[in-house]
Amino acid sequence: VSCSMAGEEDFFLEEKRFKQYCEDFVKHSQQIGDGWEWRTSKDLGDGYLSKTHFQVRNRHIPPDLKEENNDNTEHTLFAHVEEPLDDSQAAGVCSTAEVIRYEYHVLYSSSYQVPVLYFRACFLDGRPLTLDEIWGSVHASYQARLQEGPWDTITQQEHPILGQPFFVLHPCRTNEFMSAVLSGSQKRHRHTNYIILWLSTVGPVVGLNLPLSYAKLAPEQSTNTDSV
Amino acid sequence: MTDDKDVLRDVWFGRIPTCFTLYQDEITEREAEPYYLLLPRISYLTLVTDKVKKHFQKVMRQEEVSEIWFEYEGTPLKWHYPIGLLFDLHASNTALPWSITVHFKNFPEKDLLHCHSKDVIEAHFMACIKEADALKHKSQVINEMQKKDHKQLWMGLQNDKFEQFWAINRKLMEYPPEDNGFRYIPFRIYQATTERPFIQKLFRPIASGGQLHTLGDLLKDACPSAITPEDGEQKTQVMIHGIEPMLETPIQWLSEHMSYPDNFLHISIIPRPTD
Repeated sequence: VSCSMAGEEDFFLEEKRFKQYCEDFVKHSQQIGDGWEWRTSKDLGDGYLSKTHFQVRNRHIPPDLKEENNDNTEHTLFAHVEEPLDDSQAAGVCSTAEVIRYEYHVLYSSSYQVPVLYFRACFLDGRPLTLDEIWGSVHASYQARLQEGPWDTITQQEHPILGQPFFVLHPCRTNEFMSAVLSGSQKRHRHTNYIILWLSTVGPVVGLNLPLSYAKLAPEQSTNTDSV
Repeated sequence: MTDDKDVLRDVWFGRIPTCFTLYQDEITEREAEPYYLLLPRISYLTLVTDKVKKHFQKVMRQEEVSEIWFEYEGTPLKWHYPIGLLFDLHASNTALPWSITVHFKNFPEKDLLHCHSKDVIEAHFMACIKEADALKHKSQVINEMQKKDHKQLWMGLQNDKFEQFWAINRKLMEYPPEDNGFRYIPFRIYQATTERPFIQKLFRPIASGGQLHTLGDLLKDACPSAITPEDGEQKTQVMIHGIEPMLETPIQWLSEHMSYPDNFLHISIIPRPTD
C-alpha cells in the first residue's frame, strides 16, 4: 500500500500556519462552547489542541481483524456486558450501553508536515479501551477501509509530548481521506482553515464530530495567513 | 583504517548481556531461576524474549500469566524503543549484566504500549522506517519499494540477518548525486529526566553554503543544554550505540552508518559518571 507523499502542495502545512489555524479554531470553539483548548508544552513551546468528551455507546462486537485469535479481548467484552452498571453511571441509560471518556489531541507532525489526531478512550471505571475495541468503534462507513489495513490506519503510539500511550490515526491514511476534499481548485481553499477542513474529514472516523458552525468561519474572520 | 562497512556490522551485532529476574510478587509454583540472555542492541524487547517468557511461565500457573512487561529499577521499559537505546539511556554506566525484572501482572497502561503479537512490533518498526524516509526522501524511496521489500526489512531484523536486511536498506541510505545528503536527518534525542519522551525536529545535513553539519551542530540546534558546559564542566554524555561519537562527526555520515534498523539515529543524553 503506498502512502501519498506529504510534500505535495495539496496537503502540506507549515508549523507556523498550523499554530495560527489552531488559534482561530480555539477562538471559534470558545464562542460556541465546543470545549477545545490549546495546550503549550513547558519546555519547547510547541503545543497541541485538546478536547475531552463523553460518549454513550451501545454494545456491539467488533469484527475480528487479527489473524491470531486474542481470547482475552472477547472474554473482557462479554464480562463487561454482564456487569451491572451502577446507578451513577447508568441513570436513564439502557443496560447494554456504556459511557466512554474520549480525549482528543491534535498535534503537528514535522516529519509529514500535517496535523495528526491522537486520542485515548476509557470506560468510567478507568479501564482503557483495547486496540480491538477502538477498531470496532470506527464508524461503519470507514470499516471497509480500516479492514484493508488496520495496522496502517489506527494503532497505539507514544504521545510525542506527554510520553503516554494514545491511539493515532496515521498521517498516511489522512492523505487518502483528504484527497476527496482537497482535489479541485486550490484557490477555493486558500483562506479556509486547514484544521477545520482536516478535522471535519478525519474526526468522524473515530467518533469526533465538528458542529456545522465551524464551516462558517469566514476568511475575513480568520487571520490572513498569507502575510506570515 | 576501518572500512565504513565494518561500522554497519559492529552496530548490527552489538549485544548486551542481560539477567532477567521474575518480580518477587508474581505467584509461582516453585522458585524461578534468573534467565541470562545476550540481547541484540538493534532489536526490541518483545521480539527477542520468547525464551524468557517460556522460562518463567514454566513455574507459574496459567491464570497468573497475563501480558509480559519489563522493568529496570522501577521504570517500566518501553518495548517500542530499541534495546540499545533503553540500555544507554537507563543503565549504561552500571555494572553488567543488565538486570531486568519480568512482570506478568498489573500491566502499566499509562506507561507502556501493548504488544499482543509480533504484528504490533512489525507495524511499529515499519511506521518508523516510513517516517524516516519521509524525512530523507519525501517518502519516494520507501513508496517505490514493493511489499516484499518491506517484508524483507522486517524479516531481516526478526531473524538477525544482516545481509538480507541491508540488501534493501542500502536503498534507503542513498541520495541523488546532485545532493550531498538526505533532505532531513531522522533523529530523536532522549533524556531520562524529561517528561517529553524525545526531541525531534527538522534538521538539514548540509548547510546552505554546502558544508556538512556535524553532530555538535545538531545538538546545538535541538538540545543546546546537552553540550553547553555548566560551570565549565561537561556534565552530560552524548551516547549512540554505547559510544560517544566526536561532536565533529558529520551528521550525514552518522545517519548512514549509525542509525538503528528503523533508520533513526537514537541519541541518549545521560549524566556523565563522576568517578
